[in-house]
Amino acid sequence: MFKQITLGLLLGTTFIAAAVSAETVPINGVVQSRCIIQTDNAGTYGNPNAYTLSTGVTDGGEPAIVRFDVSLADAYYAIITAPADFSSSPTLPDVVTFTGDTTVSSVSDATGMGTYEASKVELGMADKYDLTATGSTWFETTSTATMGGNKSFPGGSYTALIVAECIAQ
Amino acid sequence: MLANVASAHEMTPTYPKLTPSAYDGIYKTTMKMFNKRVDIQYYEVGVFDKDFNTVPFVTSYSVLKIDYLSHVTFDIYIRENDVAKAVYVCSKSKIRIEDIRRTAISSRICSKFKND
Repeated sequence: MFKQITLGLLLGTTFIAAAVSAETVPINGVVQSRCIIQTDNAGTYGNPNAYTLSTGVTDGGEPAIVRFDVSLADAYYAIITAPADFSSSPTLPDVVTFTGDTTVSSVSDATGMGTYEASKVELGMADKYDLTATGSTWFETTSTATMGGNKSFPGGSYTALIVAECIAQ
Repeated sequence: MLANVASAHEMTPTYPKLTPSAYDGIYKTTMKMFNKRVDIQYYEVGVFDKDFNTVPFVTSYSVLKIDYLSHVTFDIYIRENDVAKAVYVCSKSKIRIEDIRRTAISSRICSKFKND
């Protein structure tokens, strides 16, 4: 009986000692203002007819979606440039004409970001946005490539680059 | 489907400062990058003036290999004579050719030097 009580006391003491000796482990972090460019969808060309490649949904393609996250207002410009040529392609039989456009597809703050689309500056294939509010903005970029002379695109792989830039003001 | 893949590029600080380094006539700043783009492993670093003309600088590698979900801290050294010209430090993703019919997104983030 005495031994059982002693053992119980010892175990209890050990348990309490272990509980008391637990230490806190801090998780440190630093918050800095930043701009993050997030590629939600790189986009895909569809081939609705022999002489057209298009990212349009009805053409079997997918538009590119890029998200900009900013944590400081009035500190960044977003500049998104639709492609004006292929970065890789088979040998082409004629000149290809590119058209493209970028629009704001969604925002995290409708009040602060509601004027982004109306206030954008278009510089050729590049669209420049002044990111005046903090939060996330989703931009959708479409691209269409049309082969000259109604000639067909040769079989093979085609890649065109969209450039998404976040420039500190 | 890429919509749910973490795929982001970030560089901090937004407003780095150039401070004298241990070498005479050379200024230095430290930048940090985080690669959350699963499709990108390499980023090119550049220093530019207000019109995006290149400004001479030195860093360990002008093209940095940054594995997915990795952080890299790197120093940039600029001659004292070029400090007034240097306005932006930018990192740009480098994309490899792939055998698929698609568009690809090249991301570029530019921080702006703000010196006292």
